Amino acid sequence: MSESIKTRFLAICVICTAVAIIVGIQMIRIQSAEAAQRLLDTSESYQGVTRVVYPDRGNIYDSKGRLLAGNETSYEIGLDLNSVTQPETVASIASSVLGLDYAQVLGYAQMTPGNGNPVYQVLDDFVSQDKIVELETIKADYDSRKAKGNEILPNIDGLLWTAHTQRTYPEGTLASNILGFYSYLDRTGGIGYFGLEEAYNSQLSGTPQEIYVAFDPQRLSTVEEVPPGVTLVLTLDREIQAMTEKKLDEAIEWSGAEGGTIIVYDPEDGGVISMATSPRLDPNNYWDYADLFPDPMPYNSAISKTYEPGSVFKVLTVAAALDSGLVDPDTRFQDTGAFNIGGTTIYNWNMGAWGDVDMTECLQYSLNVCMSWLSTEMGPDTFYTYLKNFGLDRKTGIDLGGESNWPLKLPGDSLWYEVDLATNSFGQGISLTPIQLVMAISSVANDGRMMAPHLVKAMVIDGQQYDVDPVVVGNPIKAETAHTLTEMLVNSLENEASNALVEGYTVAGKTGTGEIATPYGYSSSETNVSFVGWGPAEDPKFLVFVWLEKPSISIWGSEVAAPVFSELVSKLVVLMDIPPDSVRLAGSSTMTGQ
Amino acid sequence: MQWVGVFLLVVVAVATVAGLYLYISGRSAATGRRIQNLESELATLHRQNNDLETRLGEIQSERALSERINSLNMRPLTPDEALYLEVPGYVPAEGPSFAPPPTIKEERTPILLPEFTSTFLEWISSKLQAGTQNSTPTSEVQP
Repeated sequence: MSESIKTRFLAICVICTAVAIIVGIQMIRIQSAEAAQRLLDTSESYQGVTRVVYPDRGNIYDSKGRLLAGNETSYEIGLDLNSVTQPETVASIASSVLGLDYAQVLGYAQMTPGNGNPVYQVLDDFVSQDKIVELETIKADYDSRKAKGNEILPNIDGLLWTAHTQRTYPEGTLASNILGFYSYLDRTGGIGYFGLEEAYNSQLSGTPQEIYVAFDPQRLSTVEEVPPGVTLVLTLDREIQAMTEKKLDEAIEWSGAEGGTIIVYDPEDGGVISMATSPRLDPNNYWDYADLFPDPMPYNSAISKTYEPGSVFKVLTVAAALDSGLVDPDTRFQDTGAFNIGGTTIYNWNMGAWGDVDMTECLQYSLNVCMSWLSTEMGPDTFYTYLKNFGLDRKTGIDLGGESNWPLKLPGDSLWYEVDLATNSFGQGISLTPIQLVMAISSVANDGRMMAPHLVKAMVIDGQQYDVDPVVVGNPIKAETAHTLTEMLVNSLENEASNALVEGYTVAGKTGTGEIATPYGYSSSETNVSFVGWGPAEDPKFLVFVWLEKPSISIWGSEVAAPVFSELVSKLVVLMDIPPDSVRLAGSSTMTGQ
Repeated sequence: MQWVGVFLLVVVAVATVAGLYLYISGRSAATGRRIQNLESELATLHRQNNDLETRLGEIQSERALSERINSLNMRPLTPDEALYLEVPGYVPAEGPSFAPPPTIKEERTPILLPEFTSTFLEWISSKLQAGTQNSTPTSEVQP
């Protein structure tokens, strides 16, 4: 190699090395400069973004796995102002397809991003998929066109649609008093109101998670999947719920009642099979709530509205009297038609005297005087101890949002008077919610065992199903007492040929007519009529509670609520596959309906 | 001359490393983007699943079924029309199960033999255990 080539190589090496050194020094200088740190800090925001991922809200299914509350896709429509090239076209399409105001959209589309203007402008939200399909069709049509010469083709560049989930209730108003509703229009702060949506809000919502999404493809990594909220499986049966609601609506219309409640309950495990109230809201349009439920109307009267139940309460009085050993079914009572206590005289519902009666007849003729005698003979200590054991001094704890109760007046309270001992015995001067009454009376239908009322049968968490075990909340009476009382109630219904009887089935139950307290005393012309019954009597599978408020057709529970019970149960036994007595009691238990 | 060759060798090595780095980082970026696309696809599938379930719920809703039942001139069964059959051993169906069914783990030839996955100590232990089992004397013959 000649000297000159060596010199050239040497020169190249020196130059390259020098350039490398200079570049290196410059790099160090720039990176260690004060401005470099600021640049680094600024660049962080361009490297990625931290997003909060909200899990899908858990679904709600009925006992047969039919969807009651779920999620569906809806869209946010927005404008990427940097990408808009034809504001008029964008405004025109947004106006015609989405029904937005043309001038307003045009104003947004003509904005220059920056200088106080946003880069992205939301135009609409919760847009249905049908509208998005229309937009996609238009966009595809515009994109497929070929320009001829200098022709300017229309486009809707910059008009964006982003998917997100929306709470939906495919059954509409069905069971809405149980489900409650979710304020889905608030995409980040939505919460559940009333019913299951409120009671299980945190479980249904799941846990939102913060994730970092890098813009740099090399720093991208798999994002841990955010598990959806807890799915609920209910004790509720959709078919029975629909039938119950239909029957309630018919009963309200037929009787001219102001409102009503029907509960179908499983006394063996405390599961609510159906719970119908009026009115009912479509939770898909939850913003109608204030119009449909003017204050103070409760969302679910079955758990939130108290009333003086009247004679259905006599079931509990007689249960206490039998269980305490004060009387047995054959104990005689001389009904003189009046009973004096605390300076007040108690009369029967027809002001009559029924003479020599036994305890079954006391129930059959619904004698207030007899009940007053029973409670007085028991004494306040025993009587109110039983009422507390029946859970009447507290909320039931049902897993629905919005439960309320009225305090039970007890001896020693400033508002308790001696006469209350008598009036309470026939369900006046005491206010209960329907679910309190159902829970208490269900103990008579379940061998004296009182179960906690509940709606949720199972939960699905991260793909695993967890069954919710029924809870015994007390044994207010002995099993023997429960059987005896059931038999007495069966006989009382059959003896009086009650309107509540169901052909082919033996049922036990009691009517109730409660007078309504007004500022001027009790009104006899306006009543709350109710009926509580259960069957089949030898092995109860259901307990049905009917309450109609202020019916105009009649003031008596035996004429209004009892026939509603009978009609409902005749449909219920078919839906629950309960064969009639003639089949059930003759054969084995391995049967099914067809 | 030798050191010039060394210098060029270094340059070539650095260029090779840089090329490899670029190749790997390019593949890494492409894979990252693919992961992102798959995640997006997964989210879309989740949404579609929700939509289909809701659609099914609407089609099978009580209101929709009632309309179809009415259009077919059908009416609810009354108790006296029901026929009940005795089915010995019949067990009524229980409620729905939303838990995934238990999966069966396939038993297949391992891709990596235990020799490649076990530690040296585990290998020694297994050999010793095998030796002990082979040396167990048989005291009697099974009838």
